[in-house]
Amino acid sequence: MYRRLCVLRTEVSKRSYASTSTSYHDKWPGWETVIGIEVHAQIKSRRKLFSESLNSTDELPNTHVSLFDAAFPGTLPRLNKYCVDLALRTALALNATIQPKSAFDRKHYFYRDLPSGYQITQNYAPLATGGFLDLEKAQKRVRLKQIQLEQDTAKSTYAEHLAATQIDLNRAGVGLMEIVSQPDMRSPEEAAAYVRTLQALLRSVGASDGNMEQGSLRCDVNVSVNRIGEQFGTRCEVKNLNSIKAIQVAIIKYSPAASEVYRHIDLIERGLSVAQETRGFDEERAETFKLRSKEDAPDYRYMPDPNLPPLLVSETHVDKVRQTMPELPAALSARLQKDYGLTEPQAEVLMSVDSGVNIGYDGEVAPPGAVPYFEEVARGRNPKVVVNWITQELLAQLSRQDEPFSANPIPPQALGELIDLLQAGEITGTSAKTLIRHIFNSPPSTEPFSSMSKLVDELGLRATSSDLQSLCEKAIELLPQEAELVRKGNEKVLMKIVGQVMKLSKGTADGKAARALLQEMLKAES
Amino acid sequence: MGSFNTNSVHGPVINPFRSGDNGTESSEAPRSAGGSSGGSAAAVAADLCYAALGTDTGGSIRLPASYCGVVGLKPSYGLVSRWGVVSYADSLDCVGVIAKSVDRVRNVFDVICRFDNKDPTSIPQDVRDSSNSQAERSLDLWSGLSHGRFDGIRIGVPQEYFPAEMDSSLRTQFHKTLEKLKDRGAVLVPVSLPSTRYALSAYYVLASAEASSNLARYDGVRFGTYQKPPPGTDLSNTSAVYAQSRSKGFGPEVRKRILLGTYALTADAFDNYYLQAQRIRHAIKQDFDGIFRSPNVLLKNPTPPSTDGVDVLLHPTAISSAPKLGDAMQQGIDGYVQDVLTTPASLAGLPSVSVPWCTAADGWPVGMSVVGQWGNDQVVLRVSELMEAL
Repeated sequence: MYRRLCVLRTEVSKRSYASTSTSYHDKWPGWETVIGIEVHAQIKSRRKLFSESLNSTDELPNTHVSLFDAAFPGTLPRLNKYCVDLALRTALALNATIQPKSAFDRKHYFYRDLPSGYQITQNYAPLATGGFLDLEKAQKRVRLKQIQLEQDTAKSTYAEHLAATQIDLNRAGVGLMEIVSQPDMRSPEEAAAYVRTLQALLRSVGASDGNMEQGSLRCDVNVSVNRIGEQFGTRCEVKNLNSIKAIQVAIIKYSPAASEVYRHIDLIERGLSVAQETRGFDEERAETFKLRSKEDAPDYRYMPDPNLPPLLVSETHVDKVRQTMPELPAALSARLQKDYGLTEPQAEVLMSVDSGVNIGYDGEVAPPGAVPYFEEVARGRNPKVVVNWITQELLAQLSRQDEPFSANPIPPQALGELIDLLQAGEITGTSAKTLIRHIFNSPPSTEPFSSMSKLVDELGLRATSSDLQSLCEKAIELLPQEAELVRKGNEKVLMKIVGQVMKLSKGTADGKAARALLQEMLKAES
Repeated sequence: MGSFNTNSVHGPVINPFRSGDNGTESSEAPRSAGGSSGGSAAAVAADLCYAALGTDTGGSIRLPASYCGVVGLKPSYGLVSRWGVVSYADSLDCVGVIAKSVDRVRNVFDVICRFDNKDPTSIPQDVRDSSNSQAERSLDLWSGLSHGRFDGIRIGVPQEYFPAEMDSSLRTQFHKTLEKLKDRGAVLVPVSLPSTRYALSAYYVLASAEASSNLARYDGVRFGTYQKPPPGTDLSNTSAVYAQSRSKGFGPEVRKRILLGTYALTADAFDNYYLQAQRIRHAIKQDFDGIFRSPNVLLKNPTPPSTDGVDVLLHPTAISSAPKLGDAMQQGIDGYVQDVLTTPASLAGLPSVSVPWCTAADGWPVGMSVVGQWGNDQVVLRVSELMEAL
């Protein structure tokens, strides 16, 4: 009986590998996967790491290339200090030890996407060592090995119709942070959570957009498999993974025959050894395939770059970076909850809008994002009311129009005024929503939005408490049958009359007050 | 590249000294102008220009200056910008000046010697100011000297700079020069720079290694010679494609150095060649710092000025006069030996001037090198001027 249950469980788990709720125990009983990830994140600086060219995203190919990027003779590198500072922010956010002295090396190999025949990186002495990233939901700490600065390569695309490779040098020389983890992850879910958490963190400090689809974040995954209790198995590297899904799939895959884990388990179970290899990931077939074996692994002939002096980072400079960098997500969320009494989900929503603080290039704070907006509106007002109006109305309008937060037409003072009018009873809740909708649907004006109060009057939305009596009388007049029913004791129909009052008042009437008044009027008559 | 300037695609440079009066051909066999800035030296020697720029990595300005009988300055590393210079070995390349007199060389040098933001190895102004104030002290002291006198100038004679390969007539002449200097009040100090004998090997390992790195960019794709791969080449193999252009575009001497340099950087060889060469380089720098009067301002904790130290070093620039072109083009490893006296100053980044000194037994010129502490270029030029007038 027990044995049958086991078999059943294995079959079920093999089929259900794609679901994220099963733990690794169920997937591969008796086996342990050991996963380490190397992340290459493009640094969100205005210019490249060693040259004056602008960083670009969707530009025409080969339009942001300097002589240095194209490796013309006679050119020399100049370190971009913004790249260093953004990498320092990353190191601080990841609790890494910043090295007061780090150095640049040349990694030599010939490839079509490497114009100078070498990549400038930090092999021997990286900018920061150690560090860790805590994965909230998995309750796990992933330790880091190091963080280093290096150049990105050019982009090469194979053009079938030309039977040729096309090279775009726009990306050549863009600054990258390579963040190397220790092999602390034990499941594809943990790997996915690690990458997601890291992306959020990089965005929150403005160090990188961390966007895998766009190419500002790329991952190489190292996987090995061993029986539980035994030592680590042979490591294989899977390169060029372009999405979190691809990462998970490469580790465990769609069909049992080709995934890394199953491949390793299969080899080990057959008594064969796992060759140390570097493998690529075929998205279409959802399989890994051999790129090169350990023997073919190139000798990169690392040499210290003679043009670049050692990078010296002082304690004072690190302190300055620490003081001027944005709040980390965990600290920000805690502060929003503590100081403003927001719930965790409310804090999360504010923080997740366009990555919360909206940091531009070179770490500069661009037009304020949702969090500083909230904080300004909440000054001297009830934060719980404010957060609801922002998340439920403002953000809803923005997402309906598919606009980023920077396109919000309502300045914080205006929203504040709206809330004040509402609290004072000058307008109703319905009117407030109407106002917001009106502003969003109006054509964009060059003048900044001025007075909410003025707009209220323009639209005739000022709450009319004195006329409530006459409105109720009018409504009763228009709905005699309903009024009769209420008099007879039918409470439900009362709402229809209230609705009529609202219609007559164009939504400016106070619904609750109308209901109460109608009740009074109708009951009195009975 | 190459100490005889015979490897250029345009053919060898011919030393204009004694090339015949009024443009007629001399009956003598043509000689090498020295290299690799032999063209610049020849142009100056032939009065084609007021002065010429060159680059000196291991002696490429000083050797041609010596062979052609003109003045050649290799400044302190980092004083003249390398932006625009085709890199051979970044840690050694120096832009320098060649002219017929020290005065002319100084005129040009004063203009080009300044900080350039675009060169990351360009020495910042505050360090230049520091070494300048050191140099000022010596120059002020000597400004009072009567014409032709060397009183108080401490001249170091490095024991290791007289290798077996050196022309014996040069040794004799050198002694005569020392006597003259002593008569005019110079203080001669024999000094020892024990790491000198390893300098040439260390230089070639480091220069070749850096060259293999700097020349990796020449693949014919974005600029330069492109050699189409023959049909049947696996075009997805980058190395196979690049090898065509590189083999065609590089001359044999350059190819040789790239291959040797690549080897020196391989994982197996790195420790024994590249790292070892760096250690030697460090030892050579320490040797020099130990004998100069002025401290090396580039060091974090420079040693305080010593009264025992010397102001400059003096040594023959080359082991002989210019070789005949026919012999030069046959060169094997002997070609490299020409650099034995110039490479130590290159490895240490020190300023060095070659001034016309004497003639060898065959009547062809040989230069004298004046070497100073880092940043003391004006001191070296001043002493060179005094030597010029000797």
